[in-house]
Amino acid sequence: MPVIVANYLCAALLFCLGLFTLLTRRNLIKMVMGLSLMEASTYVLLLSLAYRPGSTAPVLLDMPPGKSPEQVADPVLQNFCLTAIVIGVAVTGVSLAVVVRLAQHYRTLDADEIRELRG
Amino acid sequence: MSADTLGPLLALPVVLPLTGAAAAPLLARLSARLSMAVSILLLAGSAGVLLAAAPYVFGGHVLVHYFGGWGPVDGHVLGVTFGADSWGLAFALVTAVVGAILLLFMLSEQGDLGPRELGWFSCLFQLLLAGLIGGALTADMVNLFVWFEVAALASYALTAFFLERPLALEAAFKMLVLTNVASFVVFMAAALLYADRGALNMGQLQQALAGRPGIVELAALGLLLVGFATKAGLVPCHGWLPDAHSAAPGPVSALFSGLMVNFGIVAIGRLVYSVYAEAGRAALTLLLVAGLISAVGGAFFALFQDDLKRLLAYDTIAQMGVLAVGLATATASGLAGTTYHLINHALFKALLFLCAGAIVHATGATKLSEMTGLGRRMRWLGVAFGAGAVAIAGIPPLNGYVSVGLIHEGLIESHQFGALAAMVLAQVLTVAALGRAAWRLYARPSGTIERTERLRPGMLVALVALGVGCLAFGVLEPWLTAHVMTPSASALLDHAGYARAALSGGGPIAGRSVSFDYLNPAELLATFGTVVAAIPVLRFAQRHPDARFITRVRAVQSGSVNDYVAYQAAGLVLAVVALIVTQ
Repeated sequence: MPVIVANYLCAALLFCLGLFTLLTRRNLIKMVMGLSLMEASTYVLLLSLAYRPGSTAPVLLDMPPGKSPEQVADPVLQNFCLTAIVIGVAVTGVSLAVVVRLAQHYRTLDADEIRELRG
Repeated sequence: MSADTLGPLLALPVVLPLTGAAAAPLLARLSARLSMAVSILLLAGSAGVLLAAAPYVFGGHVLVHYFGGWGPVDGHVLGVTFGADSWGLAFALVTAVVGAILLLFMLSEQGDLGPRELGWFSCLFQLLLAGLIGGALTADMVNLFVWFEVAALASYALTAFFLERPLALEAAFKMLVLTNVASFVVFMAAALLYADRGALNMGQLQQALAGRPGIVELAALGLLLVGFATKAGLVPCHGWLPDAHSAAPGPVSALFSGLMVNFGIVAIGRLVYSVYAEAGRAALTLLLVAGLISAVGGAFFALFQDDLKRLLAYDTIAQMGVLAVGLATATASGLAGTTYHLINHALFKALLFLCAGAIVHATGATKLSEMTGLGRRMRWLGVAFGAGAVAIAGIPPLNGYVSVGLIHEGLIESHQFGALAAMVLAQVLTVAALGRAAWRLYARPSGTIERTERLRPGMLVALVALGVGCLAFGVLEPWLTAHVMTPSASALLDHAGYARAALSGGGPIAGRSVSFDYLNPAELLATFGTVVAAIPVLRFAQRHPDARFITRVRAVQSGSVNDYVAYQAAGLVLAVVALIVTQ
């Protein structure tokens, strides 16, 4: 299943890119982008897990001719993916709201200049 | 009531606070008082329903409800299942009751806010409580993630609620980043488990996981552990906790520390014991190590804090460590002690954070050095803080003594004497840290406090209620141990019973027996010893707060989000690799 291996690698790469952004970038907006990358990696992972070789979309009343039940993508995982997208939007919205207020207060987006709480 | 009547009611404890969350902003436009009364009544209703289910559940049963009638078909459940066992119900009940008390305090303290702010504040508060109660009752992996996320979103907004406070925004951002990473890994783990074993229902998943776990399952376990350890604030995923607790408003800190972080421990207990069962034993060593580091490290950091809420926040990390160690004992006494300590922590830590909030309300002081003598001038506050500190220090007859004693007993039964020694060390540091705060509050007033405002009646009621709770949970020990804590330990240990119940609409749990010897001379002597040993530690901390090794250790908590994510990521890699290599 060459397609799927590529998908898993893509998900892993996206996750690592997001984590790398969080670890190395001090710009708050870039960190939110890193979170979005990690979020996107979960979508890719879930859709790849739902894939079955030669499958059709799981929106059916009856089996299409010539397809067995194993040849339908897993609707449960696709459903979770939708849930994750909705949550992702909410989270990005809240994060950006916090970043905007931080930028208004501190006049900077550098996380290293916004660290009064420590020790 | 019978299981048939109680089952369908199981949604109510979540639905009621959710309704309250929706209604609060609307009602607040009519009248702030009406909105407050309705919110508290709905939470009380939620507690009432849980209480009605309590005799049946604590009598050794699991109460199960399948939403929308999507019950099991040939041992497969795809619909959302709620399964209330003693472990989850105990936490849900405490959440509803303590949540109502905190809401009362919050609405009384923040009474000067405009009706709109008050409405939204109480909306977020109830949303968070609904998330915690739902997470405690659910028996479905992805549903657990959803409640985790509900609670998380509400918690970001609550931390940053007062948008004009830059510190709160800073804390909210750190919390947001770390908790989000945690939610991604939890979600991925749930999806991996479903894809690998085809099960969402925890009972079905447990049966599907029987036998030797493969690499995917172990990786998923590592991801789940780190995800919920972040919620619980266990080292090394604790970066957000001290900031969020110290920057949020008083009652919100109490909610975070008393209830929200406990949810992480509840979920870890559920996953390791009820879902992974035998395979989950692999995680216990990790849990023990993380717990001991959190217990000792948190208490050590608490010892050198000048900000009262930050001190309490580090102590929260220490208490979460104690809970993790309790979970890692895997004995009936240790798990009964963990449940007991979970409830106790909700009571005494909420009490202490409310005291800190009341001090800010009355005098505006946040630092210990500004509070000298405050306990003498404000008697009620002094008594309440003293009660909380004594309870944490584990001095009988208050509640901390019993729960810590039971966890010690669990460690002795499982022959982990090194861990026991580390626990006693953590206890000494904890007593010293809280003793230092109490010392300041009761010292001779130095005249630095300019204004003191009287506490409002709602605040006093909340402080008294939590203080009485601390005393009651210490005094009623024999009844509570037998009827609440032991069934909870049994529910975790009888994983087969839980799985059967979750797949067949409810069922019995095999009971264990736990007894606690209140007058055990060794335990009493250990308590006395920790208090005595704490005195030199306390004096050292007061004289040399800037010793070189202390500043070096404190530099670990650098305040940089990047560093905190790095600690968390290191924990993630370590957990997954350790689980896969050791199996």
